[in-house]
Amino acid sequence: MADRIAQLQALVQASSSLHINTEWLDYAGVVEYYPEELVMTVKAGTTIAELKKQLSKNNQSLTFYTKDDDVSIGAVYANGGQDISDSVLGVQIIDGNGEALNFGGQVMKNVAGYDVSRLLVGSKGKLAVITQISFKVLPSTYVGELSAPIKTNNNPALRVEIEQRLKSVFDPKGIFQ
Amino acid sequence: MSIVQELSRALPKGIVITGEENTRPFECDGLSVYRQKPLAVALPESIEQIKQILKICKANNTPVVTRGAGTGLAGGAMPLEKSIVLGLSKLNKVKSIDAENQLAVVEPGVRNIAISEAVAEYGLYYAPDPSSQIACTIGGNVAENSGGVHCLKYGLTVHNIESLTMLTMDGEELTLSRQDDGMGLLALMNGSEGLLGIMIEITVKLTPTPQLARVVMAAYDSVRDCANAVADIIKAGIIPAGLEMMDKFAIEAAEGFAKVGYPLDAQALLLCELDGSEAQVQAELDIVLKVLSGASTLKVSESEEERLNLWKGRKSAFPAVGRLSPDYYCMDGTIPRRHLADMLDKINELSEKYQLRVANVFHAGDGNLHPLILYDANIPGELERTEEFGTDILKLSVDMGGTITGEHGVGIEKLNAMCHQFNNKELETFHKIKQAFDPDSLLNPGKAVPELHRCAELGAMHVHHGELPHPELERF
Ligand SMILES: Cc1cc2nc3c(=O)[nH]c(=O)nc-3n(C[C@H](O)[C@H](O)[C@H](O)COP(=O)(O)OP(=O)(O)OC[C@H]3O[C@@H](n4cnc5c(N)ncnc54)[C@H](O)[C@@H]3O)c2cc1C
Repeated sequence: MADRIAQLQALVQASSSLHINTEWLDYAGVVEYYPEELVMTVKAGTTIAELKKQLSKNNQSLTFYTKDDDVSIGAVYANGGQDISDSVLGVQIIDGNGEALNFGGQVMKNVAGYDVSRLLVGSKGKLAVITQISFKVLPSTYVGELSAPIKTNNNPALRVEIEQRLKSVFDPKGIFQ
Repeated sequence: MSIVQELSRALPKGIVITGEENTRPFECDGLSVYRQKPLAVALPESIEQIKQILKICKANNTPVVTRGAGTGLAGGAMPLEKSIVLGLSKLNKVKSIDAENQLAVVEPGVRNIAISEAVAEYGLYYAPDPSSQIACTIGGNVAENSGGVHCLKYGLTVHNIESLTMLTMDGEELTLSRQDDGMGLLALMNGSEGLLGIMIEITVKLTPTPQLARVVMAAYDSVRDCANAVADIIKAGIIPAGLEMMDKFAIEAAEGFAKVGYPLDAQALLLCELDGSEAQVQAELDIVLKVLSGASTLKVSESEEERLNLWKGRKSAFPAVGRLSPDYYCMDGTIPRRHLADMLDKINELSEKYQLRVANVFHAGDGNLHPLILYDANIPGELERTEEFGTDILKLSVDMGGTITGEHGVGIEKLNAMCHQFNNKELETFHKIKQAFDPDSLLNPGKAVPELHRCAELGAMHVHHGELPHPELERF
């Protein structure tokens, strides 16, 4: 398991251009799930279908909308949306230098350091390899009808500039396409 | 011309406050053991004035410490030497209410409770309710990503902000919304502690006031049983509107202060609030009462008056403990719920070791602990011992899979503890994120993220078996 992370780090370090996707990542499975914590920690390549299967055994549900159960949680995260942002608690990533980093955690409340685990929601694979995600789940009775999050393209010059600077924070060599 | 003269000249009378006496109320926040006078305090009345202030500060390369109500508990709003404090308390209006879409647009200095008051006539309220809500501002809440009793069910500040407009140090405006398709910049601003930008307008989400709320009080003869009941409630599929726990010392303090009828012979007390329609509340109540059947005393509020009364003790726990000691120090670690009982045992052991009393009052449902360490700052060495005790608790929180701060922020207070939670590469990433927003590092510099050399020195210190080199140097 840790071996795969080391492999991925080496792959990133050796690359000058990389398009991250689930097959390339090849890293799936539930890492930790205590129903009474309402938190699940999974490798980013795990499919939504697998998550739902594990959760339904405990009458719990995801709190974010997913169109297709065959996609990976990593893809849903990278694609972004306010609902998945709301449920994310922590991430493990490999940045453009090949460093494995941890942000956030597995608890409901955590304000130590900037909220990188939510910053990278919607980063579309351009900032870092997301290897592991922790997110909040709920008893199914508390999850209403989920619908696709509304997204609008609002890109004033300053936002574009800040996003560019953040890109070079995580991926200084510009390898993630 | 000095920057203070420049500011005083550029702004109308009464905006810039100078001098020893007048700036004293701003020399600290809620973490009052640390104090520092700024060069001056500016209390602008408009966005234009904020921009003028920033422009002058930038031209003089002078740091800006943004301040809401100064109720923060980590020194986030404590002035820096040679800084200007930018106090936003005069920007305190609810600008518009959109009851249909359950949104309100507010200025940053509006007090948390004032939002709920303003929208009450529409059957709505603003859900995140820090205990300091009568004083703290929404700008401060966003900057700290504050929580409260009701956050277990209704989310933290970050979950209840629809959009906001911020100013960069250059005085440029940027509006961020939940709907933006791109990086999570809005979420990033939550908990940014005044280091990335200045929030000048915030659109908050409003929540319908529940038809009914009832609170269950359960007293236990064993702390472990009480802590386990917390996990059991969640396991039973219930998300209470609030789930708070107090230990014996906190119960005694709260009861002595508020006289609400808490059982004084109990080792631990749980308050579990359920809200919703009458049918929902009844259904949840049936389950909760079954889960809590092992309690030595079990009581359900029968009226709104009784409900508020049962909460009154919990809500006044801080001042109540404050009465029992010249000073107290409030910690804020969060741990996975399943470790609550072990953590409380460990805190008691540490209390023995350091010979300092501690009262535990906390947001049990979120695993967010608030041990209050009682001490007397006038006794030489006692503050230092208290801080060591606190640091031990925070390290334990991290080692149990949790965090050094659930809701109060890092500020100046937890810089050392940050070294325990994050490695150098992670800390470096934080520093670079700040640079992406504030390249000259003029917004609240030095707070929230420790310099790497600080962590290195701290690491070296630990090698010396806790004997600090250079004891004469001041350490936060
Ligand atoms: C008795 C008591 C009980 C408390 N209970 C709770 C609780 O239950 N939950 C909880 O989470 N906290 C609690 N707190 C802590 C505190 O009230 C919160 O952190 C609150 O959000 C701070 O708001 P403030 O307006 O006082 O901010 P300040 O203390 O003035 O500032 C806090 C930080 O925010 C920054 N800031 C303020 N306004 C802005 C702005 N407009 N733009 C950018 N940065 C800004 C400051 O620079 C500083 O870093 C409590 C404090 C006290 C004293």
